[in-house]
Amino acid sequence: MSRADKIREAFAQSHGAHWHPADAYSRAVWLGVGLVVGGMFLHQVELVLFGVPLVLSVLLTHKPKGTPTVSVRPVPRGAGLGTVHTVAHVDGADAEIAVVKLPGGVKAVPAHSPDLPVEIRRDAWGPGVDLRLDHLFAGPDGMHVYGPIVGVEHVRTILPPVEHHPSGPLPPRPAGLVGIHRSPRAGDSTELRDIRAFQPGDRLKRVDWRVTTRTGVLHVRERHAEADAEVVLALDTRADVGAEVADWSSPHRGATTRPGGSLDRAVRQAASMAAGYLRQGDRVALTDLSRPQLNVRSGVGRRHLMRIRTQLVVCVQAAGWSSYVTLRKLPHGSVVVLLSPFLDDDVAELAVQTRKHGHVVLAINTLPMPLKPDRETPWGEVAAEMIAAEHRLRLRRMAEHGVAVTREC
Amino acid sequence: MLIRLAIVLAAMPVALVLHLEASSIAPLLIVTALTVLTALMPGSAGAALLIGYAALAMAFADGHPLRLGVLVVIPALHLIHVTSALAAVVPVKTKVELAALKAPARRFAIVQAITFGVTAFAAVIPSGAEIGLVEVLGLGALTVVIGVVALRI
Repeated sequence: MSRADKIREAFAQSHGAHWHPADAYSRAVWLGVGLVVGGMFLHQVELVLFGVPLVLSVLLTHKPKGTPTVSVRPVPRGAGLGTVHTVAHVDGADAEIAVVKLPGGVKAVPAHSPDLPVEIRRDAWGPGVDLRLDHLFAGPDGMHVYGPIVGVEHVRTILPPVEHHPSGPLPPRPAGLVGIHRSPRAGDSTELRDIRAFQPGDRLKRVDWRVTTRTGVLHVRERHAEADAEVVLALDTRADVGAEVADWSSPHRGATTRPGGSLDRAVRQAASMAAGYLRQGDRVALTDLSRPQLNVRSGVGRRHLMRIRTQLVVCVQAAGWSSYVTLRKLPHGSVVVLLSPFLDDDVAELAVQTRKHGHVVLAINTLPMPLKPDRETPWGEVAAEMIAAEHRLRLRRMAEHGVAVTREC
Repeated sequence: MLIRLAIVLAAMPVALVLHLEASSIAPLLIVTALTVLTALMPGSAGAALLIGYAALAMAFADGHPLRLGVLVVIPALHLIHVTSALAAVVPVKTKVELAALKAPARRFAIVQAITFGVTAFAAVIPSGAEIGLVEVLGLGALTVVIGVVALRI
């Protein structure tokens, strides 16, 4: 065994999940015995009397045995935001003092104390660690120590919250059976969709003779399809920016997204819109513009809402810059809700192209406005104004091409 | 923080006694420095140095072996040992429940009771240059006996 291995082994012996003597034990043994023996040989009663308490403190204590543990009553993983209460159970075995790192701070308690109340705060949605109770046990007089032990991580995933948007004036419908929004594509229902000029392939039975005789050109009656509207929520996860331009280049720590940032707003909006459309019976799909493998196919119902909210968390976990944006396999005539900060031309171009392909496109701007310039650089205000101007131009261009644009979400 | 404060409080009588028995300010400065070191790093050798220095300084000072200063320093040094041992396993900003200190306090009281019993025994036995070795040996043996008995208890 090399010298390094010996040092490493000695270091490992002084830590970890086993009982090992602390510095106080060595001090009591060596100093106590040294003072007593030294006093005997030097004929100094004071030295003996000073050493006696140290020797006695060693003799009166024993090396603890057993395996002390700290366990936590599990907390529901999928519970929402807010404060959750649970308890930590301390089983001290032979220990005398337990030192537990609780969310509110480190606490030293008797090793056989009743359950400790634990308050868990869940401030942000997304994956995270609820609780990790690092702990240490001390034997009598702190002469022997068990630990420190790194506690088991209790992870949780909080789904994005759903805000219920008020629905507009809607006609009566058999709730839960069909969607309130009709698919915009043509089909074979009885409801009239359009009267247009005859095209090769149209059936003769659909010719509208009244319009044809009046105009002198062959016209056909087009009817709606017997299908609900398909709403596709398209999420741009390439950038997560807040109102402070200075923070754009620095990563945010402590939460999955920047609170109040573009991605946070986009996800909250997507979850709320999905809930709203699904409540009305429409079919809703989710797509990540830069990671098509994370898409969720269209579906209906409450379980589908959970699927979408869960996948939103997955999308945010995989968020990052990508050189391309794409919308694949869009159902014909679907309603595309595009949630993006629109910081580059690619996504604006994608919105325009999607509109040109005949889809209804709703572009929701998730960029927090107004932007706050970087005060530490003289070009901060100019840069922020340039970004805002380019952003306005993109939104205007999309609006000119028939994309419905919302400037604030 | 509470336990570290206890270290300082326990070291104060030691510093005071050493200062009163010394002719210079050096012992006070040394004890102060070692106390600060122990309070900041209770797991270091500061506590051992503090106890060792105070014991040697008291032993080789002039005066009766069982004078009032010695009787004050005996529990103070033991208290420094116990509090620094506990402070070494408890982080600085720890909320310490007083119930957790009940067992160490009880053990401290037992040890001090035994120690003062030994002190009383040392006070009544005859002392002198020619029988000093026997006297000290007897005290040592008594300590061992008490220790073994205490272990069986």
